Order: sequence, then structure tokens, then C-alpha cells
Amino acid sequence: MDFPFLDVKKISKIFHPGRDVQVQALVDISLTFSRGEFVVIYGPSGSGKTTLLNIMGGLDSPTAGDVLLDGERITGVEEKFLSRLRRDHIGFVFQAYNLIPVLTARENIEYVMQLQGRSRGECDRRTREVAEKLAIADLLDKLPGELSGGQQQRVAVARAVASRPKLILADEPTANLDSKSAEGLMDMMQALNEDEGITIIFSSHDPLVIGKAKHSILLKDGEVAADEFPG
Amino acid sequence: MFRTSCRIAWASLVRRSSRSILVVVMIAMSLWGLLFMEGIYDGMTEQMINNAIRSDSGQISLFAAGYRDDPDLSRMINQDREISSLFDGDRRVKSYVRRLRQDGLAATAHYSRNVMIYGVDLAAEKRHGRLDGYLLKGEYGFGAKERGVIIGARLAEKLKVKIGKKLIVSAQNSEHEVSAVALTITGIVRTNNMAMDESAVFIDMGKARELFMTPAGVSQICVILHAEKDIAAVQNTLRRHFGTLQILRWDELYPALMQSRVMMEGFNLVTSLLVFGVAGLGIFGVMLVSVLERLREFGIMLAIGTSIAQIRGIIFTESFILGFTGYVAGSLLGGATLLYYYHNGLDLTIFSEGLEEFGMDVITYAVIRAQYFSTAFIAVMLATFVSVLFPLHLLKKANPIEAINRV
Repeated sequence: MDFPFLDVKKISKIFHPGRDVQVQALVDISLTFSRGEFVVIYGPSGSGKTTLLNIMGGLDSPTAGDVLLDGERITGVEEKFLSRLRRDHIGFVFQAYNLIPVLTARENIEYVMQLQGRSRGECDRRTREVAEKLAIADLLDKLPGELSGGQQQRVAVARAVASRPKLILADEPTANLDSKSAEGLMDMMQALNEDEGITIIFSSHDPLVIGKAKHSILLKDGEVAADEFPG
Repeated sequence: MFRTSCRIAWASLVRRSSRSILVVVMIAMSLWGLLFMEGIYDGMTEQMINNAIRSDSGQISLFAAGYRDDPDLSRMINQDREISSLFDGDRRVKSYVRRLRQDGLAATAHYSRNVMIYGVDLAAEKRHGRLDGYLLKGEYGFGAKERGVIIGARLAEKLKVKIGKKLIVSAQNSEHEVSAVALTITGIVRTNNMAMDESAVFIDMGKARELFMTPAGVSQICVILHAEKDIAAVQNTLRRHFGTLQILRWDELYPALMQSRVMMEGFNLVTSLLVFGVAGLGIFGVMLVSVLERLREFGIMLAIGTSIAQIRGIIFTESFILGFTGYVAGSLLGGATLLYYYHNGLDLTIFSEGLEEFGMDVITYAVIRAQYFSTAFIAVMLATFVSVLFPLHLLKKANPIEAINRV
């Protein structure tokens, strides 16, 4: 049976920031994604990009609707299942890098592989491989505090990629980078997408970055305003 | 993953080194104080017991049947030679002494007191309970023609006598007549056994036999063994051989002392609970702050696939490192302190009046027991475990995204 790699079905999300106050962040969103796509979700601040990514990654639960990853439902399931899902199949890249500050770059990259129980040798080989691709091989023994923003974000991407997930979700990965670093990072992520076949979905409001995606989705006020495959 | 978890735990402690050191020092100081108190208090109790054993009852005392209810000279141990043979052939027996005892009166020209007259062999008493070690003034001997007497220090105060003074010692003899003898005070002893110090009058065994007109038999035989664990077994052996005699352990003769020991154990337990309760609160405070200020970090770890159980493991590891390091430091300090006072004693002369009222020595030697350290280890580990339960509960309730977005 042929089904989408990632199927978002009528997702809605309502937040309750205070008593008698509710904010509808997402309104009935339905999207499908194929394996190996390089997708951008863009839109103004407050359009619901981060909320949508969090729900697609199992970090948050929708008020209504379902998400299926590779035919398997990931909404309304136990936290243990979601924890394994995030460990084995989904990689995250956050806007603020979010590296573990007490571990070196190498240890951050190896972290998820160690959660997966991979051998020491395999962790070493894979770490070297992704570090070479992301041009951070000479930074592996440094702590996050000793790295620049761009370097930290590349380490974060390396951490997300190293465990060979099916899907990487990147929330505004270039937001805290200068334009040169941002472009460089996006080129590297594009290369990883092509070489490793990992589906990458990222959010952004940077036009330079948005232009690199093959599939773009515009969100406005929590709704899909456009779903395109430019060029 | 275990190595990484330990690395994260260790690195977190090092990153907040001043806080970590504070907790370790707190645990170490608490443990140091607790070990010191336990060792000294137990030392005081054991000294009281040892004084009673050495100066009076031994570990086992033998009396004729009915003697303790009615200490009459007609109730004598006549099998003392057989008992002596048995002891001489029993390797468990370290020493024993035979005594004549009788209530009597000690009088000077101006004062008189009821006393307990002990007819003793001073050489045997020296080997047995080191009675000579209690000598406060004078000499350990009965002088020429055994006409000396050694009395307790409090008795000497009450009678207002000193070395060289005459003392008239009188008692009812075996023919129910009053006999008396004039003796010269040759020595004064302080045993810290209150009853002995207030009423004991030691005279030569031969002189006692004359005074009491008892050519044979003894009132009491006291035994000290090489090992305390053999007391019950030796008591049973004696009862099998000499069933007509009353054969009692020191705790049966001095139940109050046994109660002191039990009370001290209870006191030590309560003190341990208090001390480790306080230490546990300290660890709790530090771990709570540590978890709360790292909620974002834990949120990231949850987001990238770490399970709650693994994060729990990291926090427990941190808590264990703090507790164990504090335990080792405290044990080393406490052990060294106890070892010093075990050999050199703690001089409590400034409290001498009060201590002597309770029959305690002014120099207290500490006791060192393995159970101090094992109990402390369990208490520290329990404190470290319990102290992180609430922070872990908070963590379990945290949502990864909310935690990551915390400022």
C-alpha cells in the first residue's frame, strides 16, 4: 500500500495561556511529504511554524487531528513510544542550537547514537563522517561554549544526522547566524539531504534560505496559505 | 550510555563546584560529628560497665544460693577449690578472684559509715581487675602484718580520713557476734563505681577470715573471660557443674548499666536520624535547585530521545557522587578522630564533678565499631536517594517543549 512518508491530517492546536484565554495556533492543517524531500515551512512570526514542527516531531500533541510517520500514528500515543521515536527516527535542530553544554562536540554528536546502543567503533566512524561533511572535524574536542554560533549549529546538525533518522525537523536553524554562515549551513543540509536521503523539513522566514527548498509551505495565521514545489 | 550519563553527572557537579563542595562538606562535617559523638558516648558507657566489671562483679559472679537475698556468712561457696580447678582448665577464662564479703561498719573517733567489707587477695585483684590502677593515694598493699585497709575515695571523704589514719572496722561474724579490728588506712581508691567508692573497705583475706570467723569458703567468685561472646556459654557450663549456686552475668547484676547501653544505642540512632535528616535537607536543596535550573537542558535531552529513566539515572548519579564523597571524607575524618581518642582519651576534667556523680571517668576513651560506618553509609545513601525524589517528580511532569522554552 502506498502512503505518504509523513502525513499530517487535519491538525489543529489551541493553547490556553490563561484562564478563559485561548489561542488557536493551527487550524485544520493537512499536508503530505514524500521520503527524501527538502521542505521549508515559512511565514510571519506567530503563524504556527514552530508549533507545527513540534507536533510533527512528537514533542507536542495536537488538539485535534493525527500525524502518521511512515504509516504509523504518532499522535495520542504513550510518551515512551514518542521517546523511542525521537531517538531512532527523528532528528531535531533547534534555533538556539541546544547542545548539551557539559559535553564536547564529539560527545554531543555521539549522544543519540549512544542512546541507540551503537558500538564505540560505529559511533567513532559515523561521527568522523558527518563531522567531515559539516567541516567541524577539527572542533570535536571543544565544548559548546568554545564554539561560534555557526559552529554550534553545525554540531547540532551533525547530532541530528549522525543517528541516521528518517526525518530531520529544523526550527529556524539559521535564525541566529550571519548570512554567510546561514547560507553555508543550508548548503550542507542540502548536501546531506541528497547524499543520505534524509527527509528534512525546516522552518524559516529568511528568503535566502527559503529559496533553497524544493517544496515550500506558507503558513498564515495557523493555516496553509500555499503549498508549492518551486522549480 | 552509562559512561555518558556519568560524564554528564560529573561535569554538572564540577560546573557548580562551589555548591557541590558545600554539600560534600556538610555531609562530611555531620558525619564527623556523629561518629565522634557515637564513639565517645559508647566509650563512656563501656567505661562504666568495665569499671563495674573490673572493680566488682567481673563478667560472671558466683554466689551461694540465697546469698543475694540474705547476704549472711552462713551462705558461702564451699566448692571454691573445685571452681578454681575448673577455671584453671578453661581457656576461655582470663582471670578470677575469690572474695569474702560482709556488711559492716567503719568508724573513726568522730564519724562512722555503713560499709561493705571485702576480704581480698591483692595480687589476684591486681591481675584480675587491676584494682591497683584505681589507686588514688597511698600504696597498693596492707602494710606490715596485713594490718592495712584500702577504702573508697568517697568513703574517705565522708569519714574525713587520710592515709595513715586509724579505722575501726566491725561486722557480725559467723557466730552472730560483733567482731571488730583496728586497721590503718594504707590506700584510697577511686573506681568510679559509685557503690564501691562510697562503701568499699578492702582488707586482707586472712584478716577477713579472722574477723568473720570463717576459716573456709568464700562469699563471691568473680570471673573475667578473654572474649565477651563466651559469657553466656561459660555461665551455662558453670550452671551445669554447680547448679546449687547463683551464677549471674554482669548485666543481670547491674541491669541499670545494661539499660544505659541500650539507651545509648537509642540515643545514637536518634542522633543519626537527626544529623542525616539535616544532611538530606541540604542535598535536597542543592539537587532541587540543580534540577530546576537545568530543566531546559533536560528538555533538550528529552527532545532528542533521552528517556525519563535515563535522566533520572543522571540525577541519581549526581546525588550518589555527592553523598558518597561526603561519606568518605566524613568517615576518614571521623575515623581518624576516633582513633586518636581511642588511644589518648578525651580529657573531661572540667566536668569532673558531674561525671563522678554518674560514676564516669574524667578521661573517656572512644570506642570504634564497624557498625558506626555501615550505619552511616546506609543513612547517607538513604538521604541522597530520598532527597532527589521530589526534584525527579517535578522533572517527570515537565513537558520537553515547555522546558526548552524556559528562560
